[in-house]
Amino acid sequence: MRFFSFHLMPYPALPPDYDGPAWITCPNALFDPEVGHQVYNRYLDELIYAEELGFDGVCVNEHHQNAYGLMPSPNLMASILARQTSRVKIAVVGNALPLYNPPTRVAEEFAMIDCISGGRLIAGFVVGGGPEYYSFSMNPAQARERFYECHDIVLEAWTSDGPTEHIGKHYKLRYLNTWPKPVQKPHPEIWIPGVGSLETMEFVARHHYAYMGIPYFHVNVFERTFRMFREACEKEGYQADPMQMGWLEPIYVAESDEQARREYEEHFFYFVKRLLPGINVSPPGYTTLRSYESMLKGFNTFAINLETWDQVVEGQYAIVGSSDTVYERLVENLHRLGTGNLLGLFQLGTLPAEPTRRSLELFAREVMPRLRKEFPEGDKVLREQAAVA
Amino acid sequence: MSPKPLSDERISSAVGKIQVWRGGQGEALVYLHSAAGEAAATPLLEELADSFDVIAPMFPGFGESEGMDEIDDIEDAAFHLLDVWDQLGLAAPAVFGTSLGGWMAAELATRNPEKVGSLVLVNPAGLYIEGAPVGEIFGRPPNELARDLFADESHPFVVAADQMSEMANLKVEPPFELMRPMLQSLAATAKVAWNPYLHNPKLVRRLHRVSAPTLVVHGAQDRLIPRAHAETYAARIPGARLVDVPGAGHLMSLEKPAELAGLVREHVTARG
Repeated sequence: MRFFSFHLMPYPALPPDYDGPAWITCPNALFDPEVGHQVYNRYLDELIYAEELGFDGVCVNEHHQNAYGLMPSPNLMASILARQTSRVKIAVVGNALPLYNPPTRVAEEFAMIDCISGGRLIAGFVVGGGPEYYSFSMNPAQARERFYECHDIVLEAWTSDGPTEHIGKHYKLRYLNTWPKPVQKPHPEIWIPGVGSLETMEFVARHHYAYMGIPYFHVNVFERTFRMFREACEKEGYQADPMQMGWLEPIYVAESDEQARREYEEHFFYFVKRLLPGINVSPPGYTTLRSYESMLKGFNTFAINLETWDQVVEGQYAIVGSSDTVYERLVENLHRLGTGNLLGLFQLGTLPAEPTRRSLELFAREVMPRLRKEFPEGDKVLREQAAVA
Repeated sequence: MSPKPLSDERISSAVGKIQVWRGGQGEALVYLHSAAGEAAATPLLEELADSFDVIAPMFPGFGESEGMDEIDDIEDAAFHLLDVWDQLGLAAPAVFGTSLGGWMAAELATRNPEKVGSLVLVNPAGLYIEGAPVGEIFGRPPNELARDLFADESHPFVVAADQMSEMANLKVEPPFELMRPMLQSLAATAKVAWNPYLHNPKLVRRLHRVSAPTLVVHGAQDRLIPRAHAETYAARIPGARLVDVPGAGHLMSLEKPAELAGLVREHVTARG
């Protein structure tokens, strides 16, 4: 098992009387740069602290025009982390490829981060969320074909000796010859996050990349998603490696179950009720009809609909409790899901600095070593009978 | 004589099989539907089939028409219409387009004026006019959008939209088969109309090319496309007339079929 600390870098100071969406049209007059100054530095400290505590990697991601996550440029964050850490993997999960024009920007910036960090980059590629297609006025009905073309360009830039030429439907690059190139050969490990669209799973399986399950749904939805991903790999003629899958999950550890819930619940619900609204827009043509139909089953389990703590616990929307409880729940769920990477969201919503650090420490000291023992790297994680049940 | 339903036919085109609703006899009248994809069993077309050979091709991605992947912008749409014309052996039919279909009709009539015998544009999209923005059709709750499309809130379309929104509020999953046509129509519309939003910046400078006698119809209660758009079409197309229909909203084809059929019949038969 590999352990990552994932940060969304949320905006924690939406005024109590604001009840609109946190995305696309959330008024940017609500953004206080002084808060921005504080939280960017604090959040970076939390990621850097994860290295000190023994995590294998840290993760940042990209979203635009929203209060949910303040990282329109995760590459800026990753380049800071490349300098301020020395051992951990730095996973950028990911760059929304169609939003970079030309997409050689991604090949360049990722290569810079890989060079600065000495080969510690994990390169994530995403189509971009539904809201981004509004924020950028990009045509969502062409999102996927653009994504595939961008991917081909980045891989070509990294793996071919230039100059080469790319003449595609959306991009015409007559001199494809990016400087610098990544340290890692043939290229950094590639992660693709997904919410369950069939095309993404098939794409990841075909290229032997790793598939990261995006959270905020009932654990049954994840179970089905990872099962479908394994089947997609089987159709490509191989067994998925656990390292090809990652489960992103909010985690909070305190001294006791009771204390953990008391300290965590309101911050979790700030996240769910204030920062998620608007993330779930599905612009026209963004999802194919076959994937829409397949994903429709899970839609109503979306975390935005959560009302009670019991529902949070029952659906494993967050793993919260004493170190024993957190350990047991993670073991059980990891056996069900079969993922070899655990991506913990330790800070969420308005969770302040002090409890975030304490939870990270408790997790690293009392949970992570036991999980490493339970799930030795390279071993199978999935327990078949659990998956069938 | 009671109206007869149109027949459901298929033609081939460069982008795939195209569904065409057709009925009646007389002069050819091509109907280009809106982003709502209306054509089948619309009383408007059944009534017009009394006087015309009514031909309503479904645009790629709408209804049973294939080929959405081959359409990327409004230029592709105009060229696709040329294929449809050839397949159907149409020389210079009367063309009647509404909203998105009105825009497509205008694109064809500016590029190939000889292919359009007479032209009716009903609440046409296609232009950008500063200070007169077109309402949002993408990503809105169905109940809200429906109120921008109809003047009459008791229209069955509005009632159905209210039911869909109600399901969403109750967190009931609507059956996929109910959602499919809407998802499909919006995706097909997005291909040509996402950005620039429902317009072609070049179109307004080309409108003088239209040679067909043209009628522009504006629904007086159209809450989606302001009257300035109809005014601009009427002012830029040589000899065009502008008519306002009181009590009509944006989707006039569904809301005021009898009035619209009367206007179309009068305009097309008065030609020459």
